[in-house]
Amino acid sequence: MSDATVNDAAKTTESTTSEPLGETYLDKFPAEAKVVRSALYSSFLALALGGLFGVIQTLHRTDFLRIMESETYYTVLTAHGVFLVIAFTIFFLVGVFTWAVTTSLDREVEDIRFTWAWLGTMTAGAAMAAAAILAGFTDSLDMSADVLFTFYAPMQAHPLFYLGLTVFVVGTWMAGADWFRSWFAWKKENPGERIPLPTFMVLTTMIMWYVATLGVATAILAFLLPWSLGLIDSVNPTLTRTLFWFFGHPVVYFWLMPAYMMWYVLLPKLSGGKLFSDPLARVVFVLFLLLSTPVGIHHQYLDPGISEGFKFIAMTNTMFLLLPSLLTAFTVVASMEHGARQRGGTGRIGWLKALPWRDPVFAGMALAGLMFAAGGFSGMINAGMNINYLVHNTLWVPGHFHLTVGTAVALTFMAASYWFIPQLTGKKLWNRPVALVQVVLWFVGMTFMANAMHRAGLLGMPRRTAEPQYDGFEYEAGVGSVAELDAQIALGGIILTLSLVLFFAVIIGTVLGSRSDEVPANGYADTLSGPEDSPKILDNLKLWFGLAVVLVIIAYTFPLLSIIERGGLFGPDITAFPQSIDIVSMAWLTVEQYATDTFTSATEVAQATIDGVLR
Amino acid sequence: MSSATEQNQADQGAGGPQLDHPVREIGHDEYDPIGTLTLIMLYFLLLAFLWVFMYFVEFLGNDPTVIGWIGTGVGMA
Amino acid sequence: MRISTEGLLIVLAFTVVLVVELRTVLAWFNLELTVFESLMFSVALIVAIVVWALFPQDGSRDTDASGSS
Repeated sequence: MSDATVNDAAKTTESTTSEPLGETYLDKFPAEAKVVRSALYSSFLALALGGLFGVIQTLHRTDFLRIMESETYYTVLTAHGVFLVIAFTIFFLVGVFTWAVTTSLDREVEDIRFTWAWLGTMTAGAAMAAAAILAGFTDSLDMSADVLFTFYAPMQAHPLFYLGLTVFVVGTWMAGADWFRSWFAWKKENPGERIPLPTFMVLTTMIMWYVATLGVATAILAFLLPWSLGLIDSVNPTLTRTLFWFFGHPVVYFWLMPAYMMWYVLLPKLSGGKLFSDPLARVVFVLFLLLSTPVGIHHQYLDPGISEGFKFIAMTNTMFLLLPSLLTAFTVVASMEHGARQRGGTGRIGWLKALPWRDPVFAGMALAGLMFAAGGFSGMINAGMNINYLVHNTLWVPGHFHLTVGTAVALTFMAASYWFIPQLTGKKLWNRPVALVQVVLWFVGMTFMANAMHRAGLLGMPRRTAEPQYDGFEYEAGVGSVAELDAQIALGGIILTLSLVLFFAVIIGTVLGSRSDEVPANGYADTLSGPEDSPKILDNLKLWFGLAVVLVIIAYTFPLLSIIERGGLFGPDITAFPQSIDIVSMAWLTVEQYATDTFTSATEVAQATIDGVLR
Repeated sequence: MSSATEQNQADQGAGGPQLDHPVREIGHDEYDPIGTLTLIMLYFLLLAFLWVFMYFVEFLGNDPTVIGWIGTGVGMA
Repeated sequence: MRISTEGLLIVLAFTVVLVVELRTVLAWFNLELTVFESLMFSVALIVAIVVWALFPQDGSRDTDASGSS
């Protein structure tokens, strides 16, 4: 297969990337390419919807354009959050991970029907949750899920929302099983070999996901779903929140890990170099597996009912979690520099000019990485318990995560799409300059929006609020004015929307194009220092899984026990909001009553008939 | 080593007359990531500065953000 | 052109970051610019960069700005 690559590469003369042309993913794995393509299209659909709701609520809360009632704001905000951070990111992840496993193990999936089955399960789950959320827009259906991405009780969603999320997560569990199955089969045929890096990344991330989703599965299946069905009267909000954040912090790494994978395995190649260190990359992923979950309480620094001591432990773990991200900054930059120097770059700073900035895939990922460095600082502020009190629940926090998931992840995914869509369709990218403008616009738009959000947060402007303006109160703006910050946020939102429109133009243009020979060959970066330089223990997934579980038990047993001891498993008798669910349970009761009546009368009729016959 | 990795090694050598083709090959031992060190040091200095700044502003100035001249914020004026 | 069109685009993107932050940073040093002044400054800076990039025009550099569609 390497011969084919070389021959094909010799044909090219006018390609503008350093990547040789050749056998695409579609050529090598046509059946898998179809699955990956479907996953990516699902994620793009979620991105389009989520982006639309994003701009609507940006203009609403900055009071530039209010096309809806402020009550509807929460439906829009829920849709924005859930569609983007659950559907967009995770559909993209399963596509990329399938690519990574099949490419790096160089084998097809074990059973393509199973692969379709998990994608179908995820899609069904996403559709159910989406239906419940979107139903909030109409009063004619007695259904809503205006509970935001965090679905904190006592806010209550329609059962379909919780059920949809569950089905979606079960789909991701099946996807993980599919990848593990591929790995087991490969291991049998290649005994004693090191796990190829992309597969290693997939497997460690999925182990983290299995551990993490236990929290949300418990929260939904044991408490929230039965509660919304009316089977139990009340829940303990502190408990369900804590279980949510048990999952809620690792999920941010679930978004981030595919982006990291792109930075480790694609970016060095696009820069014209090699990955600086394979062992370091493995260490990073192992650290994320170990440390992502036992830190969730750092999202609850302001929650009453959890003692300061537990919060302090979560803070310590969180600070350790900076380590793998800083390791990544080093490894990724060093790999880019290797590429730049191979391309003739010189000097301490001058090498940056030698990087392939004209390539939208590279430029998008590099700009995303830069934004992530800025998000890293605001993350350190969030992580510190005492400083967190100043910014908690303010617009600072959305400012932070629009740099991390909104740029580091989303922009990397969009840039990666410019590489993946040609791989998956065999068609050349429709318009590279437009693609480059798109990634740069995202960077500029987010500069305006995230900067102003952070600053507004420092003034105390709350998040999750449709109308953040109050009678008899004025924010003390540091420099400039609140109106100016609002204008920056709105301007940023508009630029981001424009960027999204260009993104879809490029994707649709590419998909509608015709097949081309000028598509880079499928593959990923080679390494300067390979797996043979790393200790074998790094590949011992059982060990890391065991350690991760132990750390979770240490971090969570006592907080959970103390929460249950104080508030009980089902809490004080809380009142659900909104009340409409009572109607559901009343309807249920009515159905039940009707069924019982029918059954009773049927029994009576039957009894009478039998009696009649017997007589 | 998996065949995918071998393929990538082939990729590295298979250039053709392309616009952005690498002009030299730098191996593991010749590579000195001095530029990375520079950038990381800059980021580190920035973080250290912001951290110290944050301490003065949030604790000594007792305001959530700098308002007006920095000197007031850090207790110099 | 001194730098490629793509290079210019990236440089301008970084300039936006500088411009957005500049007014706040200057205010810490008792240099209060109004919104209008800082807007004017930004426009001037961007125009200066574009002019620097475009002249002297030697036109010999081959860019793929026309696209590959």
